[in-house]
Amino acid sequence: MAEPSEWTGTIGRVVLGATRGEGGTRSVQYCIGGSRDLPFLPDEVPCGKRPLIAFEICDDPALWPPVVREQVGDLAGDPAAWAREAEKAYGADLVRLHLTSTHRRQVADLEGVKRTVESVLAATTLPLIIEGSGDPAIDSDVFQRCGEAGAGERLLLGTAEADRYRSIAAAALAYGHAVIAQSPIDINLAKQLNILLREIGVPADRIVIDPYTGALGYGFEYSYSVMERIRFAALKGDADLAMPVLSAAPDSLTVREVRDAAPAERQERALSWEFHAAFPAAVAGADIVCVRHPLSVKRVRDACSALSAGLKGTPAQGGG
Amino acid sequence: MALKALDIYKILPKKNCKECGFPTCLTFAMKLASGKADAGTCPYLDEATRQLLKGATQPPIRRVKIGVGERSFAVGEEIVLFRHDKSFVHPPGILFQVSDRETAEEIRGVASRVKDEVFPRIGELLRVNGIAIRNDSGSAEAFGKAVRVVEETAEFPEVLIAGSPTSMEAALAECGNYRPLIHAATAENLGAMCTLAKRYGAPLAVRARGIDALRDLAGKCAAAGVPDLVLDPAPETLGEFLQTSTLIRRRALARSAPELGYPVYLDATVPGREQATLSLGILKYAGVMVTTPGSPASLLATLTLRQNIYTDPQKPIQMTPGIYRVGNPARGDPLLLTVNFSLTYFTLLGYLEASRISCFLLLVDTEGFSVLTAVASGKLNETMIRDSLQRFSVEAETGHRTLVLPGYAAPLSGRVEEATGWKVLVGPRDAAEVPEFLEQSWKKTSPG
Repeated sequence: MAEPSEWTGTIGRVVLGATRGEGGTRSVQYCIGGSRDLPFLPDEVPCGKRPLIAFEICDDPALWPPVVREQVGDLAGDPAAWAREAEKAYGADLVRLHLTSTHRRQVADLEGVKRTVESVLAATTLPLIIEGSGDPAIDSDVFQRCGEAGAGERLLLGTAEADRYRSIAAAALAYGHAVIAQSPIDINLAKQLNILLREIGVPADRIVIDPYTGALGYGFEYSYSVMERIRFAALKGDADLAMPVLSAAPDSLTVREVRDAAPAERQERALSWEFHAAFPAAVAGADIVCVRHPLSVKRVRDACSALSAGLKGTPAQGGG
Repeated sequence: MALKALDIYKILPKKNCKECGFPTCLTFAMKLASGKADAGTCPYLDEATRQLLKGATQPPIRRVKIGVGERSFAVGEEIVLFRHDKSFVHPPGILFQVSDRETAEEIRGVASRVKDEVFPRIGELLRVNGIAIRNDSGSAEAFGKAVRVVEETAEFPEVLIAGSPTSMEAALAECGNYRPLIHAATAENLGAMCTLAKRYGAPLAVRARGIDALRDLAGKCAAAGVPDLVLDPAPETLGEFLQTSTLIRRRALARSAPELGYPVYLDATVPGREQATLSLGILKYAGVMVTTPGSPASLLATLTLRQNIYTDPQKPIQMTPGIYRVGNPARGDPLLLTVNFSLTYFTLLGYLEASRISCFLLLVDTEGFSVLTAVASGKLNETMIRDSLQRFSVEAETGHRTLVLPGYAAPLSGRVEEATGWKVLVGPRDAAEVPEFLEQSWKKTSPG
């Protein structure tokens, strides 16, 4: 039933997580990317059938969405226990740890940051995304420590930006990790950053594009179209955009519609708002979608599975 | 295949007789090429040429109107596969489904929701479009009765879902003159459903699994004289819908299968999967979607996604430039300048209202560009700010000459002071920080 395809490009593959056999301690290794067609169309034979769902946690919940803090209670203060819960109870494919403690004005305890990463690695066997440093002045120290703590684990490190990518690239190269390359909802800037990273030696199979995702009702459509355009350009043969895509809409749970909702309705608003950025991002071609509400994981995963049911692929990598 | 204006011109009579309503044959050709004229209005074309032009110049996806009056909606006329190629045109209609097994009270409850539930959002009113009545009972009488209950509540678009022509006839007796969508003609009931659709001039959905069966059925309905069709590919999974509807859209746009040049129908009532189905339908080419009445929270998110995706990427939703009051501002209260991009305005408004600060907002005309893009492109500049201050007699309202610029417009601040003679404060970049900024900086420098 497929149309004859005019595509010449293939999305590159990126491997995340290393099992014991590969020199790490993860229970699973994911391969993302690999697609040769628009998302979920019959020609598609990506390495994973459906997008991966990453659950986001942090090491300092002061500014984390209240609707999540209410749901998870004390876990919010304990990244290791929270990560374990994300794996065992929420059913996440990946854990994305935001080192929000580095956003405070004075971060004295950089060794503490390293210990946090180590404790999360010990608590969960899932591959990890580590979001470092809130301050360019300490980037180098933070990424160095994160990289070191996860040496051999094939982490995904975030986040490189156009004026801030050297420290993270250095840590990724030194310790064998991949990086998230974020640009502000602009296909040309996304491409430019990928070129910058390439020029300092980061290979394409270590880059995941984050085009920045606006929340539903707050510019989401721009992000959606940029994701479609990135996939389109990559399939047309633009190798500088042929990387897997990660989408996270960090504002989903703090928009006015959630904040001002009546208490009885707030949770459903929150879940709906998060779903309507995460699922459409998957439809646009995101390989990893990130959520913050524990109940979102299953909701988004089920919807993505319904979309990829019947596709050819390897279910062991990327789930069924 | 679509024809270009000059190709069309070559086969026109070139008499420039004006009888088509256009001054020259060339103008007529250009209008035909852009789908804004009907080849039938030229009296000098032979039948074969007229048919050729009709096929080549009518929209690749037929416009189908459902319902009558204020709440009626049209779908179809889409011209792209990706919204970034130009824009999606008609947002899909979303209709709540009721069953004729439900009590009159239950049906009335859903109908009232469809009638009254409305969510205002960035200057638009978001709501569901109508109601679908399903003939679960199998009884023509019960079906007609359920439709009557809906009709008594309000006048809005309806989808009538029944496989039996007898049931359909009973429902159409209640509402057939209001252009309900008849769902559906299948291989089994094709003739009878076509007869009913023609009798009432109503649009008809055709239902068949798989694109070839659908194409065959739609072709038969069109040949039977039913012009307004909607295609229901009866998918079993979300993935199957995505694949089929993409193929339908591609073939229709390429004009390689005229029988597929109609809007697409999507049943979004599968329990536990309503949100995902509606989302996918919005993103991937559904024209009419029927769903179970879900929670208002989930509905609002669905409708917001539809609003987002159907916003013209080249033409952001805009506000009318001018002075807007937040709270009850008095003379001496702060004046903030911002752009007329709706999202910017409503985001800022949200934070200001939450903080209960009274102030004036001066929205200047950046053609819907955000602050960042308006500064970068030069649409926001000192001359237009000066002109806006004069045009809207701002000083007469505020009683002072101090203006807060958005943080991203900081590079303009010196030039704005020079051009206007006003004092300029540079506010934060992020709307969330504006209330705190006003608390601290405005009080310090307050002109009053």
